[in-house]
Amino acid sequence: MTTRITIEHLARVEGHGGVTVELQDGRVETVRFDIIEGARLLEGLVRGRRYDEVAPIASRICGICSAAHTLTSNLATERAFGITPSVRTERLRDLLLRGENIQSHALHIFLLALPDYSGAASVLELAADQRDVVELGLRLKRLGNTIQETVGGRAVHPVTPVVGGFTSQPSVDALLALRDALQLGRQDALDAVAVVAGLARLDFGRSPTAYAALHTPGGYAYAGGHEIVVELTGRTTTVPVPAYQSLAREHTVAHSHARHSRWNGTPFMVGALARLVVNGQHLPAIGTRAMADLGLTLPFEDPLDNTRAQAVELCVDVARAMDLVEQLLADGDRADVPVPVEPRAGSGTAAIEAPRGLLVHSYEYDEHGRLARADVMTPTALNAASVEHRLRHAAERHVSLEATELKRVLEMVVRAYDPCISCAVHVLDLGRAP
Amino acid sequence: MTATHSAPKPIVGIVGLTGCAGDQLVVLNCERELLDLAQLVDLREFPMASSNGAEGVALDIAFVEGAVVSQRDEDVLHGVRERARTLVALGTCAAWGGVAALDRLFDRDQLVRDVYGDAGAAFDTRPARSVRDVVAVEYVIPGCPIERDELLQAIAHLLQGNPPLPRDVPVCAECRMRESNCLLMERGVICCGPVTVGGCNARCPAVGTPCIGCRGPSPDANLPAALAAFAEQGIIQDEARRRLELFAAIPISRTEEPA
Repeated sequence: MTTRITIEHLARVEGHGGVTVELQDGRVETVRFDIIEGARLLEGLVRGRRYDEVAPIASRICGICSAAHTLTSNLATERAFGITPSVRTERLRDLLLRGENIQSHALHIFLLALPDYSGAASVLELAADQRDVVELGLRLKRLGNTIQETVGGRAVHPVTPVVGGFTSQPSVDALLALRDALQLGRQDALDAVAVVAGLARLDFGRSPTAYAALHTPGGYAYAGGHEIVVELTGRTTTVPVPAYQSLAREHTVAHSHARHSRWNGTPFMVGALARLVVNGQHLPAIGTRAMADLGLTLPFEDPLDNTRAQAVELCVDVARAMDLVEQLLADGDRADVPVPVEPRAGSGTAAIEAPRGLLVHSYEYDEHGRLARADVMTPTALNAASVEHRLRHAAERHVSLEATELKRVLEMVVRAYDPCISCAVHVLDLGRAP
Repeated sequence: MTATHSAPKPIVGIVGLTGCAGDQLVVLNCERELLDLAQLVDLREFPMASSNGAEGVALDIAFVEGAVVSQRDEDVLHGVRERARTLVALGTCAAWGGVAALDRLFDRDQLVRDVYGDAGAAFDTRPARSVRDVVAVEYVIPGCPIERDELLQAIAHLLQGNPPLPRDVPVCAECRMRESNCLLMERGVICCGPVTVGGCNARCPAVGTPCIGCRGPSPDANLPAALAAFAEQGIIQDEARRRLELFAAIPISRTEEPA
């Protein structure tokens, strides 16, 4: 007898997706992570656009990680044109990405994941008896947005970043205000670690998996690396960013507008947990302490640990954002105009760690600075095969649960990946024959 | 015993069609107001933030984000329209089609093939339309993304039983009020401020970034005059047209060439 368990529309995730599990005489047969988001086609729509229109369009792939898309896009264009931005630009970009990461992680931890641990449907329900916790999460989320507004000019779809730099710099007053906010945020981030450390350790199945992230040799960061590192049970493989396509043996599957990626046949995970695997040696002390508080030890085999890894990054990002603001203040209120752009024919590929993991934009420009080809590889598309793998694992382990309970388990497994399904539909390669 | 009756809280839904979810994120970005807002309205349906499974309930006010690019989107939208007393198109995709509607400039079947290969043929996908192209809406809050303050003001007005304040001044007027430098006249770059509806307090020109028209056209947008002003600054007409069409399907091809 075939039984089908369907979550038609996953709630508390970004975008539209579902889960289907088919049981045959009590055995798990099919497990699908269905992506029902409409096709977005943005990488196709951006073809023919002038270089300065590309990032604003690419940003619209995702509202939550719009800063990562904007900066990855600008970096890819800069590499195509042979442009090197200033050190100050690199610092501002770093700061902007910290802000985005803080906002996104606070959103996921407190508004999307935490309600599950209290049997609440939403953060608003959660606020009824855990108002302090909810207010803590909202304060951290606000801090992330304040950073993004100060540096990027807007919390969603930033307006100051351009190819070559920024159209304007935050004023000294704005940086001083940000420093005050970050001073308060430091304790909030530590409190967030305590909240997450206090969550029940649920066992929905552990399994070894591969992890992939951009290696950032200069410290625990989200940009500035040129190599992608894949770790699979002690084996380390390095892939130069321009060769990113070898990372992802993608195949289009009928139930999903995202392509599924595997590393040597194994699904792999990207995101905060993967970054701790690949860049953990660069963690500042505040991060290693948070890992210990959260009971995070290698090897990571539990997908639910991704939420804990995000709590580690909250601490690291607030501390690093403070350092960056101090540095920018020490540099003084100096004019720093974008590097002049001289469009030329060429190709450029750039990778950044978006909040949900590795993000790659790869472009080809014609001699007039118009985009001839775009390829975007997003974290949620990279994670899709791993999500299905973990869903199967959890379903097999909990097959005896009644349907409502099993659905709750499956939803929590998917949410741990913090999927961004609007993004996931963007894996495509216009240059290659399908 | 006399019961004190407080007016029932309006039942509100926030629904996303196909898009980047940036406008729904702006709702959640009201970090200081969110918990108070939840006291004023019954935020019953908001799948991005709640798993209460309330999809399908009757709504006093529905906010709908995103463009209609699939049969599923269309079905969801018709369903919301039927059960909502007031429907607000939230964001530029819902109002004008947004960047999704750039598909009108391409052979869409070819686009889908380019992106998804042969599998694309089986996908539920169709030319992008705005929410307004598909159903009647009572109000529009434009922006890519919407402005947080404008959203909160609109909600306040709706709770008082009043329509949200209409926006009709262009970004250009707000920019002058702020006394920002004119990027079009001083730098000769394409700035869509003269023909883009305000409400953002000219956010972009104030930080030295030209307006790219993300809020859609103002009601009195004079495109031929804008193109003429661009031409005076030596801007190539084709570049200007392409910029003006980024976020809204403005029928630029039907506007007259400037003399």
